[in-house]
Amino acid sequence: MKTGVEMPANVQTRRNKSIKSTLSWYVFLLPTFLGVACFIVYPVFESFRLSFYNSNGTIETWVGLTNYQRVLSQGAFWNAVYNTFYIAFFQLLLAIPIGFILASMINRINRFKSVFKVMFFLPNVTSIVAAAMIFMFVLQPEVGLINHVLDTLGLPTSPWLSDPGTSKWGVILLTIWHWIGFVIIICLANLQAISPELYEASEIDGATGFQQWLFITIPNMAGTFAFLIIMGWISGLQRFQEIFVLGGAGGSPGRSLQTMVALIYERGFGGFEFGIASAITVLLFLIILLFTVLNIKLTRLKL
Amino acid sequence: MDVKRLPVVCLVATSLLLLPGCLPQEGEEGNQLEESDLTIAMIGEFKFQDTTDPITAHKSTGFHAVKEEFERLHPGVTIDFVIMPWNNYVPNTQAMIAGSQADVYQMPGVNDFAAQGLLEPLQPYIEEDAFDLSVYHDNLVEGWMTFGPEDDDLQIYSLPVLGDGRFIQYDKELFEQWGVEPLSDYPTVEEVMEKAKQMTGENPVTGEQNYGIYFAGTHDTALTATNFMEGFGGEWGTGQRWEEIELNFDSEEMEQALHAMMELSHYMPRSFVNGQGNDRWLTPSNNIAISVNQGNGNMKPIYAQELEDRFPVVQTFKNAEGVGSMFSGSPFAIGETSQNKDLAWEFIKFSSSEYFQRFLWEEWGSTPVIKEAVEWESIQEMELMTPVLEAMTNAVTPRYPWASSQPRYILQAKIEGALTGTLSVEQALKEAQAESTEWIHSR
Repeated sequence: MKTGVEMPANVQTRRNKSIKSTLSWYVFLLPTFLGVACFIVYPVFESFRLSFYNSNGTIETWVGLTNYQRVLSQGAFWNAVYNTFYIAFFQLLLAIPIGFILASMINRINRFKSVFKVMFFLPNVTSIVAAAMIFMFVLQPEVGLINHVLDTLGLPTSPWLSDPGTSKWGVILLTIWHWIGFVIIICLANLQAISPELYEASEIDGATGFQQWLFITIPNMAGTFAFLIIMGWISGLQRFQEIFVLGGAGGSPGRSLQTMVALIYERGFGGFEFGIASAITVLLFLIILLFTVLNIKLTRLKL
Repeated sequence: MDVKRLPVVCLVATSLLLLPGCLPQEGEEGNQLEESDLTIAMIGEFKFQDTTDPITAHKSTGFHAVKEEFERLHPGVTIDFVIMPWNNYVPNTQAMIAGSQADVYQMPGVNDFAAQGLLEPLQPYIEEDAFDLSVYHDNLVEGWMTFGPEDDDLQIYSLPVLGDGRFIQYDKELFEQWGVEPLSDYPTVEEVMEKAKQMTGENPVTGEQNYGIYFAGTHDTALTATNFMEGFGGEWGTGQRWEEIELNFDSEEMEQALHAMMELSHYMPRSFVNGQGNDRWLTPSNNIAISVNQGNGNMKPIYAQELEDRFPVVQTFKNAEGVGSMFSGSPFAIGETSQNKDLAWEFIKFSSSEYFQRFLWEEWGSTPVIKEAVEWESIQEMELMTPVLEAMTNAVTPRYPWASSQPRYILQAKIEGALTGTLSVEQALKEAQAESTEWIHSR
């Protein structure tokens, strides 16, 4: 016995075709889904699971929330959180305005525009590991380039990476140098997208170049700034490679450079404490999530 | 072709194209695991094929020679080498052993792996074969003894393969220019400090800035401090299993050691804390008189530059029993999951043979671990190797059990704090002791 309304044959064929087509494309996407499941979803869940165990890689014992309790009660963890935020904050605070000013200047010139773009963007395409190794010598307190320049100009020199009080500023210099090209290119893209009519209208109203920059350019850059702040925070909170080169997993001297990811590395691979390392990873994930949501709300970025 | 089927056809075609790439390639180095009878995991600069050293122009025969020799001695057997860099060797080894990717592992971190129950105890093999452990230099077998998860006493889970030792080295030319007596063969901390102080400042002959002493203020700081402590008659602590370990990081001798290091920091380049400032060490333009906590890697550049007469080697600081400094090097161990344990044992025995030890030394510059090496012409030609080989025999054994765990990182951070003036000596050591002890109790 047939129930319900019977569909016309041509509608059924069309639906079958559509299902077949959809299935084909899902089959096409299957390798990607498998890759995501194996290399992203599984490690994330495994890390979350491990955070409740005392694990040396092979022997596991359930310890509940003990790892979180141990991590949160340790000065080394909060020191790593402080270092991570400190470096990321000052990198963003300096690199975005400087990058924007440079981009505005490049945008105004007619000749050698591409030369400047390439010049500033070159550090960004350099491996951060190689850049950090070079900066080891640039920041060398006795014969390093920066101290040599400061000394020549009659300015006070710094021990940079050899003193816990200044080491973070050595890293901030490196990260600004490395990231500023990216900031400039992103800012330039937006600057070139601002309608020239706005400037023409303001010129008729008698606005100066500075007033145009202040009241037209900057407000139109809000979305770009929000994008740079969010991306900068996310990458800043995951900082590891340059820290590892400059101060090792322990963030020498005196843990002054140790970031959260470096601490994860130290605890995980420096002493086979995979449970502790996983607990820090989960905490880092929560911090990044919280900060990203907060940044999106504050900057009103539309995703 | 039916356009509707295009995605499926493309997927199949892509898979067929990719599949051969995933299969083992015949003749490719370290890629024949499925077909191998025995796989050896090694760490370092070794190569399977012949190579030429870019510094010394020395031509090295690759590990293919070892493969041919072992297969000649064991007809029908196939061995392969998987060679990984020193960089990240701990996680790499952990990954390999977790995946049962080799039978024999070069394993400088044997304590950690044996404690996880991942290694095969070697004592039954030694007894069954009546294998003579006295072929190895004194102290080396004992140095690698450790505990498995069920052991009450130290056991043999690995046997030495690459030698290494810590020593003090000095620049004879700078000593002469400053008119300072050379270091004695077994210098005390006081002797080193006194001589270092005399050679800091403007060199009386060249007029160049010289530094009396150097130790890197990063990475190995904790080990350097521990050796200074041994020079003052102290001991890192007692016990080998975590539940029995008691640390002496805040002992009187450790305080003396850290005070000495702080005083010596005035006679070093300012950037020593960051592991810099010794760029000219072991070169003709060297400006540092003494360097402590040195390792075997120094020999190659010294001999390549014909500076062997200029940079003599003396022993590290020793305690009243003549023992001191970190025991180092690498042993071979058999993975618990190996399917070819008997053959793996044969390879470990082979690794102590004159052939293999000579091969490692003469082709790749690795310090031999067998006693008979001192008789080899190639060793005798290099006079500096005599004190280096001696240094292997008077290190603290078994290894400092905390050297690859949190207490080392904690001690390092606190010592760096003291050396950079953010912590007082007493505060640094008190915090190091308290944090390390707390870590041991809560692990």
